Amino acid sequence: MRRAEAGLFGAGRVIMYWQDGEQIRRTLEVVFNDILTTRMHDMPVLNPALAVRALGFEPYDADWPGVLITPWFMNVLLLPSAESRWVTQAPGSKFEQAFPYGSFEFTVADEAQLGRYAQCSLFSPMFEFADQAAAEAAADSALQALLTSPAPRAISRRDLLRGNLARP
Amino acid sequence: MIETFYDVMRRQGITRRSFLKFCSLTAASLGLSPAFAPKIAHAMETKPRIPVLWLHGLECTCCSESFIRSGHPLAKDVILSMLSLDYDDTIMAAAGHNAEAIVTEIVEKYKGNYILAVEGNPPLAEDGMYCIIGGKPFVEQLKYAAESCKAIISWGSCASWGCVQAAKPNPTRATPVHKVPGLADKPIIKVPGCPPIAEVMTAVVAYLLTFDKLPTLDKQGRPQMFYSQRIHDKCYRRPHFDAGQFVEQWDDEAARQGHCLYKMGCKGPTTYNACSTVKWNEGTSFPIQSGHGCIGCSEDGFWDKGSFYDRLTGINQFGIEANADVVGGTAAAIVGAGVAAHAGLTALSRAKQAGDKQPGAQQ
Repeated sequence: MRRAEAGLFGAGRVIMYWQDGEQIRRTLEVVFNDILTTRMHDMPVLNPALAVRALGFEPYDADWPGVLITPWFMNVLLLPSAESRWVTQAPGSKFEQAFPYGSFEFTVADEAQLGRYAQCSLFSPMFEFADQAAAEAAADSALQALLTSPAPRAISRRDLLRGNLARP
Repeated sequence: MIETFYDVMRRQGITRRSFLKFCSLTAASLGLSPAFAPKIAHAMETKPRIPVLWLHGLECTCCSESFIRSGHPLAKDVILSMLSLDYDDTIMAAAGHNAEAIVTEIVEKYKGNYILAVEGNPPLAEDGMYCIIGGKPFVEQLKYAAESCKAIISWGSCASWGCVQAAKPNPTRATPVHKVPGLADKPIIKVPGCPPIAEVMTAVVAYLLTFDKLPTLDKQGRPQMFYSQRIHDKCYRRPHFDAGQFVEQWDDEAARQGHCLYKMGCKGPTTYNACSTVKWNEGTSFPIQSGHGCIGCSEDGFWDKGSFYDRLTGINQFGIEANADVVGGTAAAIVGAGVAAHAGLTALSRAKQAGDKQPGAQQ
């Protein structure tokens, strides 16, 4: 991990350019476990059956996309590399990012121990999930679909009857 | 010769260039691909204009105020001419018996072919005597106009849910449009909010007029394109919620830093509306951006859900609303890999940008 002091983004703001998926997953789990026991302590939005778990975060285009599961949310997260363009945006601003599955709107976030990252919400809160295995299965399928499969095309009745099933 | 929307617009001095711009803006606000703009233009150039009868019951006129201030400067001219608001007691020129005669004229001349927009709701107690229009209870005018209309738009939280006049103990028995006994069985589109967002209102009308059919509605009767996501899902302060950074009291350091307002009673996590994406006043801001939590004005019975500053703690209110369609039911717990994988995909599709659809998939 390379830390770059970025005077442009206010004093003390640090941008981290990640170089290793394992390191990202470990750091996210440490940081959000810490948030769970401190800032989120006693909040009524926690599902006690779940634990913090980071999945994915392998390089894709200029970013490190993955899914973060916590007892209170599940988000798609983007962590920056040196090539990521959105890191220069202020926290709270939004940008669109294209994936094979489609285009998604991400919000820029900033956390002292993580630096800049971007997020797109999948679930919040997490009471629907009966156990950790279910949450991880959901995260896996979302992440796989995001990065590989094209969005399913709705086939009109006319196309169906004419046998026109090819993608445009 | 039939008069089209385009004819009316041209007569109002709207240029063709402005008209085409309006069509692209409308396509965008409806979450349609740019390829739909010519389709909207074509419909407006060829279809006869449809009259919209706009009735007012118990209300505060905030829906009308919002509507006539539609974000884009064009909307004021375009929509007003497009709508042919023949009867709207806020902005029509006629008064007294002349005005009331317009209602009868539209009902008879355009039988089965006009849109009935209702702002506010009828009080049913004492045979409707708490709201009198032209010497008769409003509920009678509403039933009469509904009998021959094509579809009903329930503007705002009053018409959709009841709003403040229906709050407990509801002394006048103010009743939302879809619950009025004896009302003709017509399709009802609810556009809740107090008021609804101007761009949402104009887009709903534009959709009805150009495609000549109802937009896709959720189980509560709201257009899915604007009410399928919560304020919480697209809030720019959402990273602070997820990172556990909350405002603890007004004007503390966290408030100045713009942290999450959940602990100050923000109803964003239970409110389905487009405020955090479309925003207000030409996309300038919305309540949370100005430092106040969402009060949940577009939700059913929001006046009876406690103080605006009470923290959402009822796990049932907060937890089970993964999507608007399961409100009131109990969402089944997600157990097992197959169900979970499907839930993940569903969430991903929901998170995808609304406009990011292939044209064929919309219809």
